[in-house]
Amino acid sequence: MVAAISRKRFLTGWTAFIILFFLFFVILPTIYILSYAFTEWGSIEALLEDQGRMDLIWGAIGASFQIAGIVTVIDIVTGLPMAWMLVRKDFRGKNLLDTLIDMPLAVPTAALGFSSAMFFAITDESLQAPSFALGTIGSPYLLIILLHVVFSYPYMVRSLSAILVQIDQTYETAGRTLGASPLTAARTITLPLFRAGLVTGIILCFARSLSETGGTMIALATMANARGFATGPTLIGEWKDALDSQPDLAAPLAFVSILLILLSLALLVVIKLVVMRVHLPMGRIWPRPERLLSRGVFPKVKDGLAVLFLVVFVLVPSFFIFTYVGSVEPTAFDWAPFIRSLLYSFLIAGVVTGIDIALGVPLALYIAKNRSGRLAGALDVLVNVPLIVPTAALGYSLGVFWASQEIVPTHDVLLIVLAHVAFTYPLVVRNVAGAVEEVDPAYEETARTLGARPVQAFRRVLYPMVKSSILAGAIMAFTRSLGETGATQAVVANAQTAPVYIVDLINLETAAGYYSAGLACIMLIVISFLFMLALRYVTNRRAR
Amino acid sequence: MPSVRLIGLRKTFGGIKAADGLDLEVRNGEYLCLLGPTGAGKTTALRMIAGLVSPDEGKVLFNGEDVTNTPVEERKAALLPQTYSLFPQLTVEENITFGLDIRGADERLKEQVLISMLDLVRLSGRSTAFPRELSGGMQQRTALARALASGADMLLLDEPLRALDARLRISLRTELRSLVKSLRMTTIHVTHDQDEALVMADRVAIIREGRIIQVGTPKEVWDRPATPFVANFLGQSNFFIGEVLQSSPCTLLRTPDGTVLKGRSSDLIPGTQAVMGVKIGSTELSKERPGYLQAKVERILFEGRNLHMDMMTGGGQRLSAKLPSWKKGRITVGDTVGIYWEEEKGTVFSMPANGLESELKVE
Repeated sequence: MVAAISRKRFLTGWTAFIILFFLFFVILPTIYILSYAFTEWGSIEALLEDQGRMDLIWGAIGASFQIAGIVTVIDIVTGLPMAWMLVRKDFRGKNLLDTLIDMPLAVPTAALGFSSAMFFAITDESLQAPSFALGTIGSPYLLIILLHVVFSYPYMVRSLSAILVQIDQTYETAGRTLGASPLTAARTITLPLFRAGLVTGIILCFARSLSETGGTMIALATMANARGFATGPTLIGEWKDALDSQPDLAAPLAFVSILLILLSLALLVVIKLVVMRVHLPMGRIWPRPERLLSRGVFPKVKDGLAVLFLVVFVLVPSFFIFTYVGSVEPTAFDWAPFIRSLLYSFLIAGVVTGIDIALGVPLALYIAKNRSGRLAGALDVLVNVPLIVPTAALGYSLGVFWASQEIVPTHDVLLIVLAHVAFTYPLVVRNVAGAVEEVDPAYEETARTLGARPVQAFRRVLYPMVKSSILAGAIMAFTRSLGETGATQAVVANAQTAPVYIVDLINLETAAGYYSAGLACIMLIVISFLFMLALRYVTNRRAR
Repeated sequence: MPSVRLIGLRKTFGGIKAADGLDLEVRNGEYLCLLGPTGAGKTTALRMIAGLVSPDEGKVLFNGEDVTNTPVEERKAALLPQTYSLFPQLTVEENITFGLDIRGADERLKEQVLISMLDLVRLSGRSTAFPRELSGGMQQRTALARALASGADMLLLDEPLRALDARLRISLRTELRSLVKSLRMTTIHVTHDQDEALVMADRVAIIREGRIIQVGTPKEVWDRPATPFVANFLGQSNFFIGEVLQSSPCTLLRTPDGTVLKGRSSDLIPGTQAVMGVKIGSTELSKERPGYLQAKVERILFEGRNLHMDMMTGGGQRLSAKLPSWKKGRITVGDTVGIYWEEEKGTVFSMPANGLESELKVE
């Protein structure tokens, strides 16, 4: 009896600890900067008077949101036919295409930014480049759009195809036996069922584009004429870098972060409401033209264009770096600092992943098992916040939060780890909570009636069933941490993680710097690719 | 083996009363079926006995000892869920020894128990198979062996035969019962299938809206239902409303149109309103005898062993009857028949407080 009571108390205490950790180490630091608007309103008021800075801020924020919007639209338009092909059609090379789509996910955005900028924007004057580079994009705005399409496109295709797989094809078949042409059936029957997938896809793409820092900075740096153009996150990176010498940048930094956090959260709500509520006039039917478009060369042209887009605007830019490094004159590469930065990154990613698992799995269990409860429901919503908030703003907010207190020492490594935990923690929680929810609670209950204590029931019954999801979440968290630039720079301006090191190399603007950056990118790509393979292996095994 | 007593259990889930003053006594070594319609609170009652749900009010006693706050794993009451929940990552053998492993039993004991269990449930040849490789019947037997091997002295079966196909379900009834009885386990078996409950149970407890309405042997609950609901839930009944004229040695009931019906003796006060229930299987038809009342045959359904007859009386009441199939052809649609029954087959109940219709509702 006594043992039972103390065990119950221990469990309650442990649950409370996990929830408090989540609230105080993940959520609160993420949005702490919002309090700046109340405590330091005076300095923000002064900033509002400063026309020059305000123009910069609005320009950057506006550019961020415009780019994210345009990128998302491009992703939907080009991703939909691709998702359709992957799910509904059978053709030779389908598996290859399926793998190719995931490839850009394996490339850290820093490497992706360098590679894409090289392909799209490098001209002979600025850099010795392979002669087959596109090299025609002169506008930084356009370049960033193209870059963001490269890395957000796979997310959109994946979200759309995940839903498409689940939609029962018999609806469409029924529609067609009733006389609808393939296009009409797909458009009027399947597409409206698609909203949930579309919401996920849009939010993922929008958030990724809005949040992206490393790749964007590198692309802008590579394109030597880009000075002056900035997005919200790059502005944070730039100002944070200069904060030590110009302390008056604190207010503008806080203001940009607040804007990014509030606008991105507001956008999340708006997207959910708009996409789920607005009814497009899907019911209208144009039998003749739709029948015509369903036949002959049109479907083939559509599929051909989808593949062409994938190759030219996604795959080639992702891996162009290989041709660059392979074709230019090798220069001396100083391995030592790069290896050091790589080890530093690995150390951080490793620690971060460890924390994510140790403290994320219990929260996931709590959320999954108390789904109907109000607290668990609220936590489930809150978990998404760090995924939506641009990481640079998150990083800055978190840095200010930890600097404002005196309990936890503000050591650089510790701050970076805490920042990375904040945005990778949700990845583990979401993965594991999803998996646990799919397991019938009867398994654990039965184990308990057979004499297993709660811990035994978890370890022997539930854990083997969700192991692969924990691993998948861990690998995602690890690769995200490894590739992150924005948050790292926003907490510690001169941190020497691998992506930041690459940014610094490019900022040298020398042939040797570019070459070294290219080589470093390739190594990062190879390492990330190995992790990606591991992830695919793990998740495939789970599906079997 | 323990006896179980539930005293005044109450449990509400978001406004829905799953247990509403539930009292029940299960004897030592007894096979008790908890029978009731979907949503009556059967599973909640079982889960409160297992300790998976804690009651808002009331007590659970094992052998007279209060276990209301005892953790699940210390109650020695093994649950067999509807879908068996065999652990998919473990083999048959590992599933069966799960309970022993948990308690750190030594290898010799494990070996012994395993061999006797595999023997008992006739799975010796499949001990290294995984659950997904087994047929439904084998899975059920594995789950049973796992529960028995865990050292539990009480079995909680939640619709244990539901996931099996119809033929197997019927053949496994006797098998499951004799296996459990041979081990003298106290068993509580939840089901919504009246035939299953009547065939398998020592005693049947009928539950409705979170309360036990009647407990008794299968014969008692069939022949002497406590309420119109029980009369209708077990085997379907025809009901007649009327005024009690006398209650002994037999009960006489006068319907509004003046017909006088006969039923078993009761303790109802003459002059009060009452309901008489007659099982449709006990309702007899005749073209020659006038019977208590007359009705016109509207429909005859051939059910194989039986004929199901639907009739309408002159007063517009629908009645049903079940006749053995060999009587086919003697009565046809459109015939007017006399309806009668043996006096003993008519059970008279006092008028339900909320009227007959709501009393008979299954949801």
